[in-house]
Amino acid sequence: MYSLNRWWDRYRLQLSLALLGLATAWFMRHTHSAGLIELYRLITLPFQADQTQQERLINARTWELEQQLAELEIQNQKLQALIDQPIVAQGKGTVVPVIGRSADHWWQQMTLGRGRQDGLKIGAVVTAPGGLVGRITQVSDHTSRVLLISDPTSRIGVTISRSRRMGVLRGQAGDRAIIEFYEKDPDARPGDGIVTSSLSSLFPPGLLIGRVESVDLTKTSNPHAIVKLSAPVSDIEWVTVYLDDQTSKSVVSDSP
Amino acid sequence: MIKPLSQWSPIALNTLNWVVMFGSVALCALALPLRLPGMELTGIGPNWLLIWVVAWSIKRTALQAVWAGIALGFIQDGLTAPYPTHALGLALVGFLTARLQKQRYLEEDFISVALIVFGMAVIAETIMALQFSLLNSPSAPPLAEIWLHHQQAALSSAILSSLWAPAVYYPLNLWWERLNWLEQQS
Repeated sequence: MYSLNRWWDRYRLQLSLALLGLATAWFMRHTHSAGLIELYRLITLPFQADQTQQERLINARTWELEQQLAELEIQNQKLQALIDQPIVAQGKGTVVPVIGRSADHWWQQMTLGRGRQDGLKIGAVVTAPGGLVGRITQVSDHTSRVLLISDPTSRIGVTISRSRRMGVLRGQAGDRAIIEFYEKDPDARPGDGIVTSSLSSLFPPGLLIGRVESVDLTKTSNPHAIVKLSAPVSDIEWVTVYLDDQTSKSVVSDSP
Repeated sequence: MIKPLSQWSPIALNTLNWVVMFGSVALCALALPLRLPGMELTGIGPNWLLIWVVAWSIKRTALQAVWAGIALGFIQDGLTAPYPTHALGLALVGFLTARLQKQRYLEEDFISVALIVFGMAVIAETIMALQFSLLNSPSAPPLAEIWLHHQQAALSSAILSSLWAPAVYYPLNLWWERLNWLEQQS
């Protein structure tokens, strides 16, 4: 008993501080480190986003507009043929600065400098010059976290805008993604534009994602194509977040 | 004027030690989402929390090291996504660093610390890759892709983390050595 008492007297402080530390870390895990990331935003406030890399963004934007035009032309033709198809409404977006990147080497994420107080919600769609970037999976008061479409766990239903064939796009980290097709001959060629399909539950249809870089149909069990994402994610400093309910659904899971 | 450290009371010193500890962990966590020029390789930055765990564990017992690894792993979980957890990898890193027979095989200097960080970064990324492989959920990426990404992530992370390791290790080690010396004096 005496030795236990002595032990307690000696280690009381250390033990309670150790438990406190562990509890703090557990609390941060549960609150998704909201406090920490808010502090990060405050510290990086003077360094956020300047006017560099404009040209690349403009090029990407031009290409996006060209592809959107092609996409709209095809859609228009289809609408004329099928007069009762509902017309997709374009949402209103807010421009938001990017203040941070992924905090580890597995998740492809991005931290934005606006949050709940600015009306951002989980599930909101994030785009940038060049096309779709991802969707919001976490919000705190002044920051929000975006899961990029280049994350290996994010899957999106996509359409080839020329041939209207469908597939599932999976991120491959970096600026590449892979499309797996349902059919043996998906009629995809290098250079084809890829847009979100109308079957996608998380994203509105018709958003530009990228262009086909190479097609591999040699394996009949697994026809796939490599896509280069058109939004230059590593250079982006501003993104547009679409807030209205029509373009976002709050179907979000954190785990892959 | 601030009194020299040797005249501080033990309680004040202890408090300062905890401030330094929490402060340095916070700085490391805040550096994680940051990408400055020279701090990234193929979009991957140094794993600051791993460097901290190694710096902490080098002169401590395995238990203290594992505790620190778990706590910092939880923080990294909070900053990314909780499943799979980063705590497992960092706890193992702490344990292995604490159990390394440094006095026998390695000198206490920057080069050896950088070497330890290099090895531990590879181990931490491998634990993450293993956890991703063992997940059985329909949206988990295929095995081949996980291990391809693992190669790239482990190598970039190991190189960058070991290069930046002295930046964390040097001031912390200096402080803890100073503290030790002061405690032995009194």
